[in-house]
Amino acid sequence: MKNRIKELRAKYNLTQEDLAKKVGVRRETIVFLERDKYNPSLYLAYKVAKALKVTIDELFNFEG
Amino acid sequence: MGKNKIRLILIAVLTLTLLGGIALYGLAIIPEKELNPGDMLGIFIPLLLVVFMTFLILRRYKDIKQGMPLEDERSRKVIIQAAAKSFYVSLYWLLCISFFESFFANKLFGLEHLDAGQTVGGGIAGMAVAFSIFWIYYDRKGKLI
Repeated sequence: MKNRIKELRAKYNLTQEDLAKKVGVRRETIVFLERDKYNPSLYLAYKVAKALKVTIDELFNFEG
Repeated sequence: MGKNKIRLILIAVLTLTLLGGIALYGLAIIPEKELNPGDMLGIFIPLLLVVFMTFLILRRYKDIKQGMPLEDERSRKVIIQAAAKSFYVSLYWLLCISFFESFFANKLFGLEHLDAGQTVGGGIAGMAVAFSIFWIYYDRKGKLI
């Protein structure tokens, strides 16, 4: 599953740490999310999308 | 005091208790006799765990200072997967100890048979090592179920 987290994070000038604090997770989780190495729960996906002011569909792209 | 800080203090206390136990065990056996491989493992493996836990505590302390949570959904999944895998490994490890009990007794302690304490200690040490290795692997690898 691809995502646009890094792109949108850069758009709002947020560091990985800033985004992690906003979402309430550890920085490593954001790192692995950006590298497409971790599939978040629906709840986490929603929180990240809300923090980046987009919908889940706009943030994540399921390839399969 | 925050919940995270309390948890970190508890982990630090446990680590210090383990270190104290290692020190007492070392002080008790080192002067009395020449150490056999089993005695050295009995000191080395818990010491390795203390080093691992100290590293973890320092990292988590830095995270608390920066306002990061101690755990999140991903870190919980890492623990669950590491625990599940180490459970399977430990089943085979315990079978291995029971099948090769005389071999371990002879090579590690110079005895004919292991006593209950040595067997249980060996089993727990193997489980702890397996869990630590799997925890590091899943934490770095990223891909989780």
